[in-house]
Amino acid sequence: MLFGVIYWRTKAFEMRRIAAFVSGEAIAVSQGSPDEIIWLVQTDAEHEYHDKYHNMTFSALFTPTGRLVAGDLQQLPPDLPIDGNPHQVALHRRGSDATPRPVIAVARRLPSGQVLVIARGVGVLNTLEEIVAGTLLLGVIPAIGPALAAGIWLNRKAQRRIKAVNQSIERIMQGAVHERLPVHGIADDFDQLADSVNRMLAEIERLIAEVQGVSDNIAHDLRTPLARVRTLLERGREKARTPADMAALVDRAIAGLDQAQAIITALLRIGEIEGGQRRAAFCRVELDEIAIAAGELYAPMAEEKRVQLIVDASSAAVVDGDRDLLIELVANLIDNAIKFAPEGGEVRLSVAHAPNGPVIRVGDNGPGIPVAERAAVVKRFYRLDKSRHVQGSGLGLSIVLAIVMLHDFDFIVTDASPGANPPGCLFEIRCVNANSGSVTLSPAPAKKRLKWPPHGWWRPRREADATAIGA
Amino acid sequence: MNFAPHADEQISTVNISEPAPSGYRAKILLIEDDQEIADEVANDLLDRAYDVFHAATGSQGAEEARRGSYDLLIVDLLLPEIDGLSIIQGLRRDGIRTPVLVVSALGAVNDRIRGLKLGGDDYVTKPFALPEIAARVEALLRRPLETRATVLRVGPLELDLIERVARRGGAAIELSKSEFKLLEYFMRRPDRVVTRDMLLEDVWHYRFLPQTNLVDVHIGRLRRKVDNCGGEPLLLSVRGMGFILRDPC
Repeated sequence: MLFGVIYWRTKAFEMRRIAAFVSGEAIAVSQGSPDEIIWLVQTDAEHEYHDKYHNMTFSALFTPTGRLVAGDLQQLPPDLPIDGNPHQVALHRRGSDATPRPVIAVARRLPSGQVLVIARGVGVLNTLEEIVAGTLLLGVIPAIGPALAAGIWLNRKAQRRIKAVNQSIERIMQGAVHERLPVHGIADDFDQLADSVNRMLAEIERLIAEVQGVSDNIAHDLRTPLARVRTLLERGREKARTPADMAALVDRAIAGLDQAQAIITALLRIGEIEGGQRRAAFCRVELDEIAIAAGELYAPMAEEKRVQLIVDASSAAVVDGDRDLLIELVANLIDNAIKFAPEGGEVRLSVAHAPNGPVIRVGDNGPGIPVAERAAVVKRFYRLDKSRHVQGSGLGLSIVLAIVMLHDFDFIVTDASPGANPPGCLFEIRCVNANSGSVTLSPAPAKKRLKWPPHGWWRPRREADATAIGA
Repeated sequence: MNFAPHADEQISTVNISEPAPSGYRAKILLIEDDQEIADEVANDLLDRAYDVFHAATGSQGAEEARRGSYDLLIVDLLLPEIDGLSIIQGLRRDGIRTPVLVVSALGAVNDRIRGLKLGGDDYVTKPFALPEIAARVEALLRRPLETRATVLRVGPLELDLIERVARRGGAAIELSKSEFKLLEYFMRRPDRVVTRDMLLEDVWHYRFLPQTNLVDVHIGRLRRKVDNCGGEPLLLSVRGMGFILRDPC
């Protein structure tokens, strides 16, 4: 089609050009004196003028009756109107070949009554037409064949892959959750798609496992307080003598039920936080202000335990996040630290600057957390053996981790004073608003940064960590 | 929440269910489609000497809110047909200024924020504790004293807001910043029950902090300073609900 257009445009251009040329020639020649005209025409005819485009020119002068005066035309072309305008006709050259040549010709009637004819061949354009047609036949049409074939083959190949993907998905939807789409390692669009889908499947599988795990946990950890309440009420029923006894019993039962409800609420909240919708309500949060308010809030509690609470949040530190959740994070960490600090001990809360963003640190000088237990300490309901006597649901740190993950912050558990005895425990939250979301368990500097999760735990919401999904 | 009494706690025998002195029973419209919850809430409020009208659907509730003259509306955001947010928006647009207590699901943070922006005055989340609803209902019905007075007085207690000094019967009391804010909060709401959640939100601007026993510790310290210098105890605990600053007059 392109060839066609080029040819057509070229032809039109050429025709116009020739027509203009011929008209111009005719006008120019007719301006001369009669002798000049004859001379020009004769010279033209004698030299069989070929210009550089290998076009032919004709020129001739006729009497009013059509008899040739000079030139290289046999006779006045009958189909050429004598109006001074260019027309396309076919002319015979005088004396030579019999084949008429296609030209654009102009016939002008001179003041003397004679007729001047100037013409220019357009045969070249016909040659051009033949060339184009030839090219088309020789080149383009043979090219179409393989192109079509290639197109069909590629399409079939793509369809086959799509079919394979659909079948895989079908099987997965019917329960084969661990199956993954095949990836051919070509890194084309299909592979990328398969990769994305596989990651999604991994996440689904993990969530399913986690839900199962959590239901087990909930069931187990609610049974204990509820069983206790039941025992309390049963025994009390027998033993209570006075209404006051009964009232006290009922109070204890209510306390037990409140505890059970607190566990349920905490688990629901962790679920809500993990759901991620709270990200939509993120805004600027001033960590230093939170830390100072938290310090005020916990000061009496620390005092009662005779623990010194030090807050170091002198410079402004701003992050993007959920204010309520970040308050809860800080509160949970302080709560935890005060609980485990020895009497007369010290808890230090600080908000400091770091190149990647503010860092929240909560440290105590208590027994610290043994390296071996650091992975487990944030698991739900886990209580360190030596501190099972401490009141609480054991979910505080789980909530902390859920909040950390929601914000894509980094969470580090390490010794507050490495080497000292007792080493104390330090929780560090690196508020990097860029992509991280990892958890480090070894003391810094950590060569080996464990990427969460180990089996059945939260995972950072980053593509780069996709490979870390194990089991 | 741990309601076990502390050693030095004064248990109040204040009877919350007495109607206000004038005998007026406030009219509350409850828009809630869950029958069980509606029963619980309505019965509790009736016990506390309020009149309660229950609308089980959003449209019924919206209509009733415009028709009757209620002192308070309790609106559940999750309703069939019309949702609570639209009801509140509609009412405010029509110029109805009745205080609204919004009830929302636990995770619906955005709904809550919108609920307040569209004209709600306060909110509780499901599952809620009945005392919480009761305390907030009362708080909305009897707004705190928005006086421009620079000195607040409740009985023998005096709080100078400019000098930041507290006095009981003329004798000065040393208060920390938190304790001052806490006492000011109570003194703006004399004779009204205040829950631990309310204190955490309004005094420390924390929401949803589960460690509400923190509040007890603060109250304990404040109480020691305010009540232990002789005279009758003014800062009392209300079993199952929270605390109250009693005006002896």
